[in-house]
Amino acid sequence: MIRIAFAGKGGAGKSSISGSFARLLSRRGGPVLAVDSDPLPGMAYSLGIAVDDHPTPDNVVVEGPEGGPKWVLRPGLDAAGFIDTYASTGPDDVRYLQFGNTWGHFQTLQRGQHAWSQVVREMDPAAWNVVGDLPGGTRQAMFGWAKYADVLAVVTEPTPKSLHVARRLLNITKAEWAPSQVVVVANRVDEDEDIERISNALDRPVIGSVPNDPAVVEADKLALSPLDHRPGPFVEAIEQLVGVVESTYDMDDQRATKGKP
Amino acid sequence: MSAEQLLSSVPESDTVIVADLEAGIGTLTRLPEASVDSTLVIVEPTPRSIDVGQRAVLVATERKQGHITIVANKVATHEDEERIRTAFGEHPVVTVPLDPVVVAADRQGASPVDVDPNALAISAIGGLVPVLIETTDT
Ligand SMILES: Nc1ncnc2c1ncn2[C@@H]1O[C@H](COP(=O)(O)OP(=O)(O)O)[C@@H](O)[C@H]1O
Ligand SMILES: [Mg+2]
Repeated sequence: MIRIAFAGKGGAGKSSISGSFARLLSRRGGPVLAVDSDPLPGMAYSLGIAVDDHPTPDNVVVEGPEGGPKWVLRPGLDAAGFIDTYASTGPDDVRYLQFGNTWGHFQTLQRGQHAWSQVVREMDPAAWNVVGDLPGGTRQAMFGWAKYADVLAVVTEPTPKSLHVARRLLNITKAEWAPSQVVVVANRVDEDEDIERISNALDRPVIGSVPNDPAVVEADKLALSPLDHRPGPFVEAIEQLVGVVESTYDMDDQRATKGKP
Repeated sequence: MSAEQLLSSVPESDTVIVADLEAGIGTLTRLPEASVDSTLVIVEPTPRSIDVGQRAVLVATERKQGHITIVANKVATHEDEERIRTAFGEHPVVTVPLDPVVVAADRQGASPVDVDPNALAISAIGGLVPVLIETTDT
């Protein structure tokens, strides 16, 4: 099973790429759970799920035991049951979990966060491929929100601002719980020099190169997934990326079956 | 120091402060009431961006964050502009066209003003100045 999370600067293309990746991975067979931890969620659109206001209901958690986490899943509800009940189902049978949204008040958001971290920690790693979309910037990734992933894909555009955030994200490899692979995906690439600029600046393999494709912006305006509106160079590049990520798992079978605690 | 602490602690003066807030409405919901004279809500012509923009307008209005102006950014067609105007009804809208100069500047890590001071997007942003002066009582 593949467990990958996408991070990067706001606007770098995380949601467009991760949502498309989840659907294309699912088309190859195998169950896919898409997880969106951005309080400004964008993944639903690229998955082709119309409504993205799916906050986790408050009553999924109850107060935790003394000295433990503040909120825990209510008795009788485990990670598998949570996914079963609260993950919506989108095109290509991708299941989608959104941890909460900006619009809820603080306590709701906090409960959602606790439910979320327990679900990704306790879910059966053999049951799901997991594709995650992190919020822009470095905060969540650095605080361990990508712990569920074996692969952290840092999405970057060939601009100094985007590369600056990417460089800071790559420091994650120093963390004890860091995903075993931290890789770079170049987005909105116009020419070969763009990729060169990125790999020089980051000194890390660029495993995917996604072209600038006007159809993606059009899809965004129509609130459609890039897969459902004039699929072209962008979708082809994501298809390739899925293949590359799969092959890195094949090379290291052990990691593929081990999953993460 | 957070943006909200900073903005609520600067003394009244003749200095103009321009703050670029975090994406979304988080900072706006935490900013003490009436911290600013004017709020610019930047939206792109996509349903997702318009949705966030509308929520920002609600919060800014509720929390009395001065006059609200909508900046319609990356506008490529007449439809793009109309869509934003319709979504924001009574609020003034300043339109900034999708401009390759801004994209090029981003790639160079330079300010678009320095790359081409006469660029379409730059002149359009200049159009904000009279709107701000008109709506701010200084
Ligand atoms: N390869 C691409 N070509 C053209 N437009 C793109 C591409 N990737 C992303 N975009 C556009 O860039 C904007 C930001 O993308 P998004 O996926 O929402 O970024 P993030 O989730 O990182 O904030 C959207 O309008 C999207 O349509
Ligand atoms: Mg996003």
